[in-house]
Formats: sequence, C-alpha cells, structure tokens
Amino acid sequence: MKGLFRKTLCVLAGAVLLLGSVSVQANETPEKVTVIYGGSSWLGHYPAWVGIEKGLFQKHGLGVLFQNFYASSGRMGSLVAGDLDVASTGSISAIALMAAGSKGFMAFATPDSYATVEGIIANENIKTIADLKGKRIAAPFASSAHVLVLDILEQHGLDPEKDLTLLNLKVNEMPAAMGSGEIDACAAWTPHFNKLLNMPGNHLLVDDTEFSLYKKYKLGPGPDLLVVRKEFAQKYPNTCKAFVKGYFEAVDMLINDPEESAKVLVKLTNLSMEDQMTVLQDISWIPGQEQRALMVDPGDFVTGMQQLAEFLVKHKQIDNAPAVNEWIEESMVP
Amino acid sequence: MEINTPSKSLAVSIASLVIFITTWELICRLGFIEPLFLPAPSQILSRAVKMIENGQLISHTLASTRRVMVGFFVSSMVAIPFGIFLGSSRFFMAVFDPIISLLRPLPSMSWIPLSLLWLGITETQKYSIVFMGSFAPSLLYIIEATKSIDPLLIRAARNLGASKLDVMKEVILPGSLPQIIAGLKVMLGIAWTCIISAELVAAREGLGFMIMNGKEYFQTDTVLLGMVMISITVMVIDVVFRKFERRLLPWTR
Repeated sequence: MKGLFRKTLCVLAGAVLLLGSVSVQANETPEKVTVIYGGSSWLGHYPAWVGIEKGLFQKHGLGVLFQNFYASSGRMGSLVAGDLDVASTGSISAIALMAAGSKGFMAFATPDSYATVEGIIANENIKTIADLKGKRIAAPFASSAHVLVLDILEQHGLDPEKDLTLLNLKVNEMPAAMGSGEIDACAAWTPHFNKLLNMPGNHLLVDDTEFSLYKKYKLGPGPDLLVVRKEFAQKYPNTCKAFVKGYFEAVDMLINDPEESAKVLVKLTNLSMEDQMTVLQDISWIPGQEQRALMVDPGDFVTGMQQLAEFLVKHKQIDNAPAVNEWIEESMVP
Repeated sequence: MEINTPSKSLAVSIASLVIFITTWELICRLGFIEPLFLPAPSQILSRAVKMIENGQLISHTLASTRRVMVGFFVSSMVAIPFGIFLGSSRFFMAVFDPIISLLRPLPSMSWIPLSLLWLGITETQKYSIVFMGSFAPSLLYIIEATKSIDPLLIRAARNLGASKLDVMKEVILPGSLPQIIAGLKVMLGIAWTCIISAELVAAREGLGFMIMNGKEYFQTDTVLLGMVMISITVMVIDVVFRKFERRLLPWTR
C-alpha cells in the first residue's frame, strides 16, 4: 500500500514537473510569430539577414520579414508609425527622433563596432585634409558620414560654409560624381565605400578612427543601434525575447563562421565573395553577453551616444540633446 | 449668409483662417496629436523666427526663388514662340503632337537621373528640372490659347491683305495673350512643385533642401515651415504677376 502511495506521489510529482515545464515553455512561446524588421544592405543589418537565411529565428518560432529602406530616417519614421516592429538604425536618426520628442521606440543593443569601412575618399590631387580647401566634397546630409566630415573639418580648422563646398549627395550617386570629376572627395560607407576605393585614382583620406569621439570613447560617428517599437515590446515580450535570441545567435555565427555567413550575405550586398570577406574582417561584432555592459551597466555606449547627441547640437544638426538613457529597453538587453 | 462686397469676403476669409489656425493650435496643445506628426502653428512660428534670425530662411527662399524663376523663364521663352507656332500650323502640330504627348505626363522627378548624366551636379541641372517639369504643360496651354482664336478673324485679316506676320502680330498674339498669361500663372505654381525634385540632389540650400533635411532630422516644424514658405512665395509672385499682366494687357482690365 505504502509502495503504491509512493509510486502515485512520484507519478504526480513527475506530472506536476512536466506540466510546469510545459507551462514555462508555453509562457515563453512567442505571442506573435511574424516580426517585421527594417533593414538595408548596410553591415548593421547583417545579423538579421544571416538569422533569416540560416533559419536562426525560425528555431525560436519566429518568421522575420526583412523590409529594405534606403535611409535610417525612413526606417525610423516607419517604426514609430507602426509599420515596423524592430530595426537596426544609424544612431544619428535615433538621436534626432529622440530630440524630436518621440517616445514611440526604445533601444536595446548595439550589434557592431566598425571604423574602417566608412570614411572620406579623395582623388589623387588631395593628399591631406588641408588640401580640401576650395574643393567640392560630398556627403549624405544627416548621416554618420556627414558628421564625420564636419568633425574632421573642425579638427583641421576648416569651415564647411566658407573654406570648401560641401554637397548633399546619396552614397550610390557618389561613384558617378567622383568618376566624372564633379566632386573631389566624398564621405561614404560600405558597400559603396569599397566601390569608391576600388576606382582608379581614389584613395582613403581618413576613416572613422579619426573621428574625435572614436579617439576618446571608441565610438564612431553613427554607431548602429537596435531599436524596437515600444508598443510592440510591451505587447509581445516573448516575441521580443525570441528575436533577441535568434539575432545574437546570428552575431555568434558571424564571429565564428564568417565564410558561411558571407555566402548568404552576398545576396544582400551584391559584393563579391572576396569583398564581402574583407568587409566582415573590418567589423567587430558585439556578442549578446557584452551588451549589458554597454547598454545598461555601466552603459559606456549610452554615455558615448550622449556625447554624440551633444556633438550634434554643437554642430546645429538638432536643437537639443535628449537624455539617451531614457530610451533604453532594459528588459530586451540580452 | 450672403457676401456681396469684397470687404465682407475678405473678412470671412480672414475669420476662416483664424478659426483653422486656432483649432490646429488647440488640437496640438491638448495633446491629441504628437508634435512629431503635426507641430502646432506656434511651434512653426518659433522655428521661423529662429531661422530668420540666423538668416537661413531668407537664403533658402531666395535660392529656390532663383531656381524657379530661371527654370520657368527659360521654359516660357521657349514654350511661347514654339507653342504659338504649333498652334497656328496643323502640319507641325501633327509632327510634334506625339512627342509632346510623351513628354507631358513625365513628373519632374523622373528627369533627375538623365539631368545628372547630362549636366552633372550643377545649378544648371536644378534649372533644367524646373524647365522640364513646366515646359510641356506650358506648351500645351499656349497651343490651346493660339488655337482658340476665332478663324473668322484670321480669314478676315487675310482678306484685308494682311501678311502671315501681320496676322500673327495683329490677330493671333493679342487674341491669345490673355489665355497664355493665365496659363503661365498656373504653370508658375507647377514650376514651384518641381523645386523639391530640383533640390533633392547635391543641394545645400533652398526650400526643397530645407524640407528634405528637416525630414531627415524629424524636424516636422522645419518641414511645415518650408511648405508654408513655398505657398507664401507663390502667392507673392502671383500678385506681382497680376500687376505685370495689367500693364501688359490693359484691355483685359
């Protein structure tokens, strides 16, 4: 009788444990199985692309829809308008949106650190920054490349309004403008950066490592930032957790198996396999376990972003510097 | 309510504007709409004051006005004689009609890639965008204005011994000019719509640039201020145009 009682207790305990684990699993099941992600061919979107192509999100019960945008501003606009759920963005757009007072989005990670795949490329007549005086230089306004140009000119005592002609040009229009000699230099990022460097006569004048905040805080002029629509994060916490898991597994894959990653990335970037591998070598990926130190405790990256916001105010790009730490979604930081 | 005097009409228009702006201000102040999506009129005004103080608003407005006026002037100078010529010749109209029909629906933005290849990232490229955006529609207005001349008048003039040039100078031109001027006024408004396209590439000033740059930084007040400035500039130019029209066409007063 005693034995039967014990057996029954054991079976019951096992059933409770099993049910418990099932209910935990059930609790962690994504509430929404499709996530709309805002991307482009920029390297900050590589993990999302690799995650989709290699089925890493699928493993966590998620289908991720990759929506292409040309510029971060369009992506961020769509995010706060409710058309996207998650996105990676150049932080200048995110800071500008914070400065405009939008509380519709939150930041939760920074996937990469790059410094040598963005910079100012000049023709052979320009050997130093001082040679830019009186020349025509192009940068896509309101971008990290624009910030880099403003900073480099300031460091060398050149006034962008008086000493040279600074033109607003999209990166994809730069190769033609450089080729025809209409501009003498331009600031661009990969993959156009690589194309411009490969053009005969062009050479790299400076890259992001010369940016003043990079020298101080290892922060580029427009570091990548992962953002989520606030309403989405509140409504679908498990979906967000699953996305973060899949995303950072993709980051790990980019670190551990760049060749396999490059094979799927060439579909996104249209670079040759060789160029793609070169770009991948120039990026430092930041794995999930390092994110908390950057985003929350002690939040070095957030401190750097604050400096960047103040830099933008100083250069009259935005009106006020927002308190960046108020836009961090701690629950999503891995 | 019946409006039978111009002063009453003006009063109603002013009241309507005041109600519109006050309602807009109230909606924004009460927090029904986020300022990111629609800033209050007072916010736009404060942006305007700031940009007037640093001289940016004036320089952007002047840059765009220059581009529109140059592009539109060149477009009119080509379209007026060409349109009158086509309007008075059935043969040449038949020759050029399919080409004009092909060009007419093309939006100014579609000319950007070609204009960049042909003219580079210069001011001429920006003038050309305004030119191409306004040329074909202007031409159609002028052709229609020329065609609207009563053929009886032309025949009568010819019967009285007028040469082709005399008919052109004394009948077609004075007869079609009021309609041509009316068409050009409409086209000037359209030329202003081309300014966004003209200032999309390699611009560093102008109202189009101001709007697009404001959009990049989510400064919706700057975007709306740029739009308001385009409207105000078009209104001012319209008044100037009317004065010019009165002087040029005294018989239409």
